[in-house]
Amino acid sequence: MSQDSKKGLSRRKFVVLTGGALVASGILAACGDATPTTAPATTAASSATTAAATTAAASATTAAASATTAAATTAAAGATTAAASATTAAAGAAGVLPADAAPADQQVYVNHFDSTADATCLDFYESVYKRGGFADMQSDSLVRLDKNFKTQPGAALKWAVDSSGLVWTFNLDPNLMWSDDTPVTADDYVATFQYGADPKHAWDFTWYFGGVIKNWNEAVAGKVPLDQLGVKAVDAHTLQFTTESPAPYLPPMLLYSTPLQKKALTATGSGLYNADPKTTVSSGPFILKEWTKGNRIVLEANPKYKGTNKPLFQKLVAIAAAPSSDFASYQANEIDFVGGAVLSPADNALIAQDPTLKNQVHPQPGDFRTDYLFFDTKKPPFDNLKVRQAFSHVVDRDAIIKSIITPSQGIPAYSFLMPGFPASNSKALAPIQNYDVAAAKSLLSEAGYPDGKGFPKLTLWLRNEAPVRVALAQAIAASIKQNLGIDVDVSNKESKTFTDAMNAKPTQIQFGMVNYGMDFLDPYNMLSVWLSGGRHNWNNTTYDDAVKKAASFTGDPAQRVQMFQDAEKILVSDVGGIFIYHRYVSDLYKPYMKGSELEPDQNGVAALHWPGYAGFSQSVSSVYMSKDASSAGRKLPK
Amino acid sequence: MVRYLLGRIIGLIIVLFIVSVLAFLLMHSIPGGPFDETKNPLPPAAKANILKKYGLDKPIYEQYINYMGNALHGDFGISFQSPTETVIDLIARTWPVSIQLGLLAIIVAFTTGLAAGIIAAIKQNTWIDYIVTFISTLGITVPNFVIALWLLLIFSIQLGWVPTGGWPTEGGEWTSAILPVITLALGPSALVARYTRSSMVEVIRSEYIRTARAKGLSARVVILRHTLKNALIPMITILAPQIPNLITGTIFVEVIYRIPGLGKFFVSSIYLRDYPMIMATMLLVAALWSITYLLSDILYTVVDPRVRLS
Repeated sequence: MSQDSKKGLSRRKFVVLTGGALVASGILAACGDATPTTAPATTAASSATTAAATTAAASATTAAASATTAAATTAAAGATTAAASATTAAAGAAGVLPADAAPADQQVYVNHFDSTADATCLDFYESVYKRGGFADMQSDSLVRLDKNFKTQPGAALKWAVDSSGLVWTFNLDPNLMWSDDTPVTADDYVATFQYGADPKHAWDFTWYFGGVIKNWNEAVAGKVPLDQLGVKAVDAHTLQFTTESPAPYLPPMLLYSTPLQKKALTATGSGLYNADPKTTVSSGPFILKEWTKGNRIVLEANPKYKGTNKPLFQKLVAIAAAPSSDFASYQANEIDFVGGAVLSPADNALIAQDPTLKNQVHPQPGDFRTDYLFFDTKKPPFDNLKVRQAFSHVVDRDAIIKSIITPSQGIPAYSFLMPGFPASNSKALAPIQNYDVAAAKSLLSEAGYPDGKGFPKLTLWLRNEAPVRVALAQAIAASIKQNLGIDVDVSNKESKTFTDAMNAKPTQIQFGMVNYGMDFLDPYNMLSVWLSGGRHNWNNTTYDDAVKKAASFTGDPAQRVQMFQDAEKILVSDVGGIFIYHRYVSDLYKPYMKGSELEPDQNGVAALHWPGYAGFSQSVSSVYMSKDASSAGRKLPK
Repeated sequence: MVRYLLGRIIGLIIVLFIVSVLAFLLMHSIPGGPFDETKNPLPPAAKANILKKYGLDKPIYEQYINYMGNALHGDFGISFQSPTETVIDLIARTWPVSIQLGLLAIIVAFTTGLAAGIIAAIKQNTWIDYIVTFISTLGITVPNFVIALWLLLIFSIQLGWVPTGGWPTEGGEWTSAILPVITLALGPSALVARYTRSSMVEVIRSEYIRTARAKGLSARVVILRHTLKNALIPMITILAPQIPNLITGTIFVEVIYRIPGLGKFFVSSIYLRDYPMIMATMLLVAALWSITYLLSDILYTVVDPRVRLS
């Protein structure tokens, strides 16, 4: 840690010095001093003024007002970094390998991607669920995440919101160029968002911007033309978003904004041009060199990349493989990384006993995923709150974590938001659904089913779960039978059958277990899953109002957090779901992988954080292979 | 003979037709579709757009007629799993890999199986016989994915002699073919060994072999020319079904060893509800099996003059 961070700091100082000649010194003085990597609240607050100064003078009042909101603080904090890293690019200091790095020909990162799932494209806006390995590397998203899950500038160097809270202006990095030597402009972003909403494209992630970006849902339904979408180009490098209601969470949400090139998109009619090395056009850190279908995807560092996420790896190789073979290939030194999600309990037991492998495990919260039970609360018996409460008190989370999940793979959950996620309130909410068999029994008899008499037999639906979570469900079923006298069959359904039944209106699943992980770092994202009309048949208008009000609240961020916490309390108390555990992801990666983004974050977690080695993350410009890689017996692919 | 063949070919077409109808009905009757939402429900309008785009909003019979109409013109559609290529391209890309693997496995299985079976039959009830019996029992009873994992553990991870996956013609090392071929060949090889042994043992005891020996022929000639030739006839029955099995790829071996063959599509097409690919793989397998049985029936008339087709 110490060595790398010293380097990072000294480089920043260097940037500040060289940049001083280029940029107005008044701005830089504020920026330069306020950019330590561990950005505390004070930094954000102090640099908010800087942002206000650098943004258009007209929005000075806005910036002052929004300095108090979470989004604006992030934006402001980010703006300083952006100014610094923009100069870095100008000074040509980015992308230089550290002194302890292996030679350039060994800066190759080899990974597997799931050959048993669809892999048809490399672009988020083509298809989210059918992306192949190392996707989204061929253009820069507007913002990026650092290891502390803070929103940092990406293709947008800075951004600001107007006084109505509805109109957002993003200033794009003017240096960005496509590999065909045309500049990246706001038009590319507009075309990409229009493609996402295009009814003819039928994007599989359209729900994401629904109700946020103005006219999004109407455009998807074909009711308004695409040019009415709330995404506009003001000039070549100024992009404007209009939202339906104030959305302070828009910047973190725009993590997913890697543009397709308007020219190529118009010419070919889809984003699949980026899935073929012959037609691909990149403005991102990497460019596609080879895609042999069903076999492997190879990307190389884009020599024409002008952005602020310049990679240290020179080549990325993603090999199509069944997830079950990842661990074997890792042990045979063929790949550098194995995602914790694919490791079986047997693999984890083996790793725990192996002194070498044990040190290569890096547990982290992943995408803050929570596993929970849900009900059809519109029909008996689960329309009765007392029944739901009774069920919530018979889940012995501690025993489940200890004997089934194992502590390296998760922690008990009594509420939805995992510790570490914004607005998480785990400690305070824990007593509501605690393990209390006596209370469960009396609640069930109050509901009219003493000792389970007269209670219908249940089937607990699972969505194509791994054996470990089938065991978890069996344990819960056994506990319900033993303590409440109710028979529960566990039925592990094939994924599509489950999804179809869950989404059916009215839902066809009376009692199920499923999980959810976040899409962007704002409580609204996770909590919106429980809004009426969403994926679960639990409707609570107080909850709906509370979540929606908090979501668009532009005042004091602390107050906004409080509003979300109040809403989550409703969800837990009204037992919309029974929360079982928060997943930990224990990834394995080789010890020769180094970089400041892999060093401990503000919570002391040293790992390749979500979203992993991806264009959405600053890990791209940080992670490299150290000299140890040369002697590690790696078998690099041809 | 010609009339018989013609009848069989017409029968083949009828079989393919029935298979196509059954497969089409079955795949549309399982819940879920190719474009289900994995996370949050899509807006109904968006969902309707997708179904319309792929013609899935039409009634089933209309979809079937459209499909068959196109298929008769050689257009089997575009795979949902791989929308940048047609189903025909996809099969043309992946099937040759499976055929290579399958043919290598067949060659290895039959040479090793025959040799082991002959030796076991000649050295009946000796320790050699017992070892062959033991190994072949193991080969038949242990599933090939278990064998694959054992071999991987020993030869790739512990000894590091061969890569854990890949295929020679697809950018892999030539050594990457060794483990998958052994894994795939072991079962059929054991089967061949068992049948060769019992069939040889039966023939050795028959009277014409005793006659051959009585004529003073050498042991080698008796075994190769008289015993083996006759013992091989039942092998056609064993060999025939192995061919379509092995050359259409096996999901376990291909997935474990990362071989980009056709095998995985038989399963992935179904759980991804890739309708065009399900139909293509079903029809391919049905056609291959029908043709294999036809050919093996014809082959019988060649090797055994007592058999007549009519």
